[in-house]
Amino acid sequence: MLWMTLKGLLARKRRLFTTALAVTLGVAFMSGTQVLTDTIGKTFDNLFSDALANTDVQVRQVAAFEGVPGADTSDQRGRVDASLIPVLENVKGVAVAEGDLFGYARLLGSDGKAIGRPEMGAPTVGAPWSETALNPFQLVAGQAPRSDNEVVIDRRSATDGKLKVGDTTTVLVQAGPQQVKIAGIAKYGTADSPGGASFTMFRPAVAQRLLATPGKFDAISLIAEDGISQTELAARVRAVLPAGTEAVTGAEVTKESQTAMREAFSFFNTFMLVFAIIALLVGGFMIFNTFSITVAQRTRENGLLRALGASRRQVLSSVLAEAVVVGIVASALGIAAGVVVATGLQAMLRGFGLDLQTGSVVFSASTVYVSVLAGLGVSILAAVSPARKAAKIPPIAAMHAEVTGSSGYGSKERIIVGIALLAVGVSSMLFALLGDVPNALAVVGVGVLAVFFGVSTLGRTISLPLSRVLGAPLPRVRGAAGALARENAMRNPKRTAASASALMIGVGLVGFITILAASTKTSINAAIDRSVTGDLVVNAGSGFFGGVDAGFAERLDSVPEVEFATGVRFGGAKIADKVERVGAVDAKSGFAIIDVQPVQGGPQDMGRDTIAVWEEKAKEVNLKVGDQVKVVFKDTGEQVLRVAMIFGEDQPLTTPYLLSMDAYEANFLDRYDAQVYVKKAPGVTTAAALAAVEKVAAEYPGIKVLDQEGFKAQAAQQVDTVLGLVYALLALAIIIALLGIGNTLALSIFERTRELGLLRAVGMTRAQLRKTIRWESVLIALQGTVLGLVIGVFFGWALVTALADQGIDRFTIPVVSLLVVAVIAAFAGVVAAAAPSRRASKLNILKAIANQ
Amino acid sequence: MAERVATAVAPASTVAARTLAATKIYGKGQTEVRALDGVSVEFPQGQFTAIMGPSGSGKSTLLNCIAGLDTLTSGQAFVAGADLSTLNDNQLTILRRDRVGFIFQAYNLVPTLTARENITLPMTLAGRKGDKAWIDTVVEVMKIGDRLNHRPAELSGGQQQRVAVARALAGRPAIIFADEPTGNLDSRAGAEVLAFMRRAVEDMGQTIVMVTHDPTAASYADRILFLADGRVVDEMLEPTAERVLERMKRFGE
Repeated sequence: MLWMTLKGLLARKRRLFTTALAVTLGVAFMSGTQVLTDTIGKTFDNLFSDALANTDVQVRQVAAFEGVPGADTSDQRGRVDASLIPVLENVKGVAVAEGDLFGYARLLGSDGKAIGRPEMGAPTVGAPWSETALNPFQLVAGQAPRSDNEVVIDRRSATDGKLKVGDTTTVLVQAGPQQVKIAGIAKYGTADSPGGASFTMFRPAVAQRLLATPGKFDAISLIAEDGISQTELAARVRAVLPAGTEAVTGAEVTKESQTAMREAFSFFNTFMLVFAIIALLVGGFMIFNTFSITVAQRTRENGLLRALGASRRQVLSSVLAEAVVVGIVASALGIAAGVVVATGLQAMLRGFGLDLQTGSVVFSASTVYVSVLAGLGVSILAAVSPARKAAKIPPIAAMHAEVTGSSGYGSKERIIVGIALLAVGVSSMLFALLGDVPNALAVVGVGVLAVFFGVSTLGRTISLPLSRVLGAPLPRVRGAAGALARENAMRNPKRTAASASALMIGVGLVGFITILAASTKTSINAAIDRSVTGDLVVNAGSGFFGGVDAGFAERLDSVPEVEFATGVRFGGAKIADKVERVGAVDAKSGFAIIDVQPVQGGPQDMGRDTIAVWEEKAKEVNLKVGDQVKVVFKDTGEQVLRVAMIFGEDQPLTTPYLLSMDAYEANFLDRYDAQVYVKKAPGVTTAAALAAVEKVAAEYPGIKVLDQEGFKAQAAQQVDTVLGLVYALLALAIIIALLGIGNTLALSIFERTRELGLLRAVGMTRAQLRKTIRWESVLIALQGTVLGLVIGVFFGWALVTALADQGIDRFTIPVVSLLVVAVIAAFAGVVAAAAPSRRASKLNILKAIANQ
Repeated sequence: MAERVATAVAPASTVAARTLAATKIYGKGQTEVRALDGVSVEFPQGQFTAIMGPSGSGKSTLLNCIAGLDTLTSGQAFVAGADLSTLNDNQLTILRRDRVGFIFQAYNLVPTLTARENITLPMTLAGRKGDKAWIDTVVEVMKIGDRLNHRPAELSGGQQQRVAVARALAGRPAIIFADEPTGNLDSRAGAEVLAFMRRAVEDMGQTIVMVTHDPTAASYADRILFLADGRVVDEMLEPTAERVLERMKRFGE
């Protein structure tokens, strides 16, 4: 019977295409993400193997602890002593031994503006310029730095900053702004810069002094003499190494760096995959819907086949075969479209300053397998239930004249199952969010799915009254066309509900994320009001590492409009056997400007050997004031600190542990302020203080001076950036849902051909007919929106309640935003109806009436 | 055979619809079919006309072209004084809505609407209420007063066609076109519907044009036009079933 299926599909190419399109989009997203991740992976693989091409062995400190979540994700280790270099040079077989280091360096272009956007993407880095084969850069102009104020920069920075050899500019480093002369410009392999990062390279001793610590390097790289293997050299070097240092081969370092980078990007991959799965889920709904309708429409045909001797199994497999074809078409198109998606995402990342000059897109076999599996799997799974229904059609159905689609409320069993699913979903969500459940995230996911499926199961029961209520004003507002639209939305609640379900998922998630974002913003605003008693905040804008040098805060202190200024620093440490972010503020001025709301102890107790713990963290790890806690720092190793304070407010610093600046400087080598908080002098207006601070800040391009409102706006903007990204990704699910509504309408119109012909004959104008279909579409869309918003509000409430102890304690329903969502969804219903309604209005009346 | 003008030319005001050399050609060249070949007919007001003829004689095409459902290749068709060839789709639609009534063989009613809503559908589409007293009269004549709140699926075939007749009458159109209105009914229900249509002509002065191939149905008309090969070939006034049968038999010769 396969040939019949194929013939049937070919006869309905258009529908095959629109049905497949729903899954295509999901698959495209999935394969696009995969392709991009592979491409990024390969880019960085190449980057590291190039950078370390001539490194045979690297000597470095043993890792103190693994990467810091949400900050620097590579292993944390201290710096090695430069005095080790002559020792290593004496080891037999070592040809070259050279120290290497990375530090924050922000180069200014010829226009005085900072180059690069480290807060968004690729870092801005300073490093020593090597004159050995260890240097992965090649000069394209000028020469190596000959004096302390000369630097070599990468070609990308030179282009972006319009800098050429001989120019003088400023670079912002830990030691404060430095005047430098561009001695040379270098390229990195075939690229202008490694991954779009900005590089400023000094003479080694200068790099140590300006970027890090004099006499220290991050690592020492070795080149072996000819004929000595990496492992051999590493073994020889180990013999002379002091305790706490290690020697690893170049191959191992390369592998490590590549793995760490891939891990850092795996978050991106997971994030995108979640949306691909949502898109596939919505696509699955649409396939289910389309197949359900076509099976109902083909009741007579299938009855006839059964009467002529086709077995149930044959009917079942003919429907499934159709799903297989849809799945294959969808996957094939999806994989092809995936390349487009990947290119688009790549362009987006380039917008963030992350340059992936790969030349070729990486298309792995696993991308193909996974995409086909997903596309085919979703199509078949969604078609199983309609196929079984088709197989159950009795031969006698061939004799029935009219197909009457089920229009009931749904059976009692169905209602029970739906309510049970809802109950399971809601309770597992609440348990996981509010209680103490292992694997909470997975349980929440299952709960979310169960809620969606529960509401979809109850859909046809809810649909009729919902259509009636939502459509109530239509007859009055839109006359006969409106009345008919409402009747049409009500005539097959099962179908209306099913097409609305797909949209419900998209809108539900949009509603949820909107509420979460609004609640986060109000919570952060409230926290800033509570805790920041200062007037101005200066943001270094340096990204994950680096910041503004400590001299900046000191200079602000001497400005007459400023009463005092105090810097905030961040770092990572292993505390109570967990790697955590720590913040540091001055014990006096810092806590005077940031009120962390002490619960136990206070700022006056904070000193060199103490630590403060956020209330929620203290509960989690069971710490109280007076406890001794083991803390591992990368620079100073294991230390024991005393808990001197428990604090109630983690905003605006957002770290669960705080140190006094004394303790920070005793344990960290870095001297960068990430933020500087300013209290204006008495009697000075905020505007005057702002102007005074900005004058000083003008010498530090790239940093931002904000007043309290600006600071709040910046926090809100960060939330909005994420929100915008999530909206864009969820738009995909909504587009698929709209395709689904369009498809349902087209199928319904096909079914109602004669009726439409009759309406046209007795005097319905084309415009009225279009209006009828349009409003039916709007009703379906509104139904999905209303259900989605109800679910979204519930999800939002549940998560905000669960996050109350994480500082998101203000549940906010952004009414205007949600109304906008509803209006957009209704308008989208109009768009979805455009094609079907146009086709319907062009119907030939006579043919339509004669239609069987 | 020469074309015959069916009736003596009546004054324009008493003609509900007419055609002038109406020609309809389907296809082109070799496959060209002349469904109507220069038909000029008039349908006087208050008259019940039946159109008969063998399959392919063009009777349905003629009906569709005068009713504004199809367009002529050449010639003219007038309904209520309007030249259909000068009207665009929208104007044609409004003409059908306001000036023409329709009764089809089957599938006359919108399934989502009740009988009452179906009857007033053209007026609702026009955004008008309609003449309530008149509609009540029509409903009473058609004997469907107790079925008004039912949907089509809950009505018998005969009842559905009576609702369709009521809808056609409700707007007091200039003319009603009926295409095999009893084709799907058993003889008793068919006779009932035809009797109602007859009453509409006699008691309400309605003009009806009906296409049928059933001599009994045709015998309810005031006159019969016979079509063959796209031309009017004969006319019969005050027909009876027997005479019609006799005449139809001659087409077979």
